[in-house]
Amino acid sequence: MKILVIEDEEQLSESICEYLSNEQFVTENAFDFNSAYEKISLYDYACIILDIGLPGGSGLNILRELKASNKADGVIIISAKNSLDDKVYGLKAGADDYLTKPFHLPELGARVDAIIRRKSFGGKIKIVFDEIDINMNEKTVTICGKETMLTKKEYDLLLYFISNKNKVISKSAIAEHLWGDNMDLADNYDFIYTHIKNLRRKMLQAGAPDYIKSVYGMGYKFSLIK
Amino acid sequence: MGCIAFAILLRYVIISQVDDDLEIEKNEITAYVSQHGYLPGIIKVHDQYTTYKTIDKPAVTKTKIYTYNAYDSMDHEEVLLRSIQFIVNTNNTYTLINVSKSLESVDELMQTIILITITLILLILIVTFIINRIILRKLWKPFYETLESTQQFNLSDSQPLNFDNTDIDEFRHLNIILNGAFNKAQQDYHSLKEFTENASHELQTPVAVIKSRLDNLIQDENLTQQQSHSVEEAYNALNRLNKLNQSLLLLTKIENGQFSAIKQINLKEKTENKLNQFCELWQGKNIKVQKTLEEANIEMNENLADMLLNNLLGNAVKHNIYNGSVEIHLNQNLFIITNTGLNHPLDENLLFTRFYKTNADSESNGLGLSIVKQICNVSACSIAYSFSAPDKHSFILKW
Repeated sequence: MKILVIEDEEQLSESICEYLSNEQFVTENAFDFNSAYEKISLYDYACIILDIGLPGGSGLNILRELKASNKADGVIIISAKNSLDDKVYGLKAGADDYLTKPFHLPELGARVDAIIRRKSFGGKIKIVFDEIDINMNEKTVTICGKETMLTKKEYDLLLYFISNKNKVISKSAIAEHLWGDNMDLADNYDFIYTHIKNLRRKMLQAGAPDYIKSVYGMGYKFSLIK
Repeated sequence: MGCIAFAILLRYVIISQVDDDLEIEKNEITAYVSQHGYLPGIIKVHDQYTTYKTIDKPAVTKTKIYTYNAYDSMDHEEVLLRSIQFIVNTNNTYTLINVSKSLESVDELMQTIILITITLILLILIVTFIINRIILRKLWKPFYETLESTQQFNLSDSQPLNFDNTDIDEFRHLNIILNGAFNKAQQDYHSLKEFTENASHELQTPVAVIKSRLDNLIQDENLTQQQSHSVEEAYNALNRLNKLNQSLLLLTKIENGQFSAIKQINLKEKTENKLNQFCELWQGKNIKVQKTLEEANIEMNENLADMLLNNLLGNAVKHNIYNGSVEIHLNQNLFIITNTGLNHPLDENLLFTRFYKTNADSESNGLGLSIVKQICNVSACSIAYSFSAPDKHSFILKW
C-alpha cells in the first residue's frame, strides 16, 4: 500500500517517510502544490498526509480535488495552525483526520493505521496480532481465546501499541496519546508505567507471551518475541 | 482689606470735598468782605454753622481746617463737624470766622455708597459664578469627553481611539497628540503581539522536525543506555519548549478573541469529568481529594472552560506535596480549589504575571496562571488567591 506525504518541510517529510515505511507501506513524498497535484491525479494512495500551507497553493485545494474526482484516498491533515476553525474546516472539506504539528510519529502511525483500517475493511473491523483479537466495534479483546476485560486506557494503549508494532514508542508519545497534549503532565510518566504494568499482567495471565519490552526506561516496544 | 481701604478712601474723598466747600465758603466771605468792607450777615443753612468772633490782632493769620465733635442742641446728639477757621481783617478789626459743616450726611452717604457697592459686588460675584459654571462646563466638555475616551481605551482593542471633534484649538491639539500616542502604542502592541504569534508559529515546524527525528532515532537498536538517557532528556526539554510555545500561542489566541463562541456550561459535570481525568495524577502523589460540588452553570467558551480547569487542577497537583490534599468547592457562582503546598504565601502581585515561578528550576513554564487570568478576563469572571497557614493555597473563581 502506498502513502503520500505532502509536506514542504523536507526534514519532516523525510522523518515521516522513514517512520511509516515498512513491509506493509511504501511512502512517497511531494514538497509542493504542483508535484502533489500531479501525483494525486496519477496514482491512488491508501492514505495521504497533507500539509495545509504549501508553496504554490493551499493543501485544502488538493483535498477538494481529491473529493471532486471521487478518490477513496484517506486524508490526514497535518498543520501548524492549531486553531479549531482550521480543524473544523479541514474535516468539513472531507479530511478523515487532523493532526496538529508538532506531533509524535507513533501518533501519526496510529492515525494512518486507523484510517486505512476504516477504508480497507469497511465497517467490519477486527484486528489480529498474534494471540490477540480485537473487535473494534464492540471494543472487546480476546487474548489466547479468552475474553479479557481491559480498562479504557489499557484498551487505547493496546491499540496504540499494535498500530505501532515493532517500533519503540517514547513515554512522552504514550502520555500524549492517552491524556491528550492539553494536560500538563510535568514530565511525570509514573502513571504510564502503572497502565503498562497492568496491561502486561493481563496479557500474561491470559497466556500470551510478553510483547511489551521496555527500552532503557526511554520507551516501550511492542513486538513478537523472536 | 479692600473694603477698609475703600471706606477710608471714600471718606477721604468726601472730606476733601467738604473741605473744598468750606474753602469756597471762606473765599466767598473774604470776597464779600473785601468788596463791602464788612462781614456778611449769618444765614442759617442746614448742616452749616457760621460764627464770628472778634479777636485782638493775632500773631498768625493761618487758616485751619479740623474735625471735632459738638453737641447739636436741635437734634440733642453729638455730631461730627468739619470746620474751617480763618481770620478776616475788616477796618483793622480782626474777626475769627468759623464755618462748620456737619459730617453726618457724609456718614450717611458713605453708608449708602458702601451698601450699594457691597450689594453690587455680591451680585456680580453670583452672576460671574453662574456664568463661569455655564461657560466652563461648555468649554471643558471636550476635555472631559477626551478623558472619558481615554479611560475606555484598551490597548488590545483593534479599533483605534476616536475623539469627538472640537472647536477649541487647545483641546483639538491635545486630542491629536493623544490620538497619535495611543495609536502608536496600539500599533506597537499589535506588532509585538503579531511577532509573538509569528514566532510561535514558526517555532512549531522546527519543533516538529526535532520531535519526529527523535521518534526515529529511538528506533535504532544499537543505542547505548547513555545515548538513550540523552534522548530522553532531549524529549523532556522538547516537551517543555513545546508547552511554552503552545501556551504563548494560546495567550495570543485568547487575546485575539478566537474563543468567542459562548455557551452555557454545566460546571459540576465538567469538574467531575476533569477530576476523573486527573485521577492518576492524584494517585501518583498520593493526594487526597475532597469535593463538595453543587449544581452550577457558567456562560463561557467551552474550550476555555476546559483549559481553565486543566490549569487550576494541574497546578493543584504540580505544586502539591506528597500525601497532600486538594479541596474543591463549587456552588452557584463560586469555584474554590485549595491545595497543600509551600508553607509560605505566594506573591499575589506577581502570581498572575507571565513567567512568574516560585522556584527558578521548576518544570512549569510560569504561564499557567496568566492563561487562567486571561481566560477570566475574556469570560467575565474573576480569579483571586488566598493563603491560610500553614500550607493551604486557594484559588477562588467568581462569576
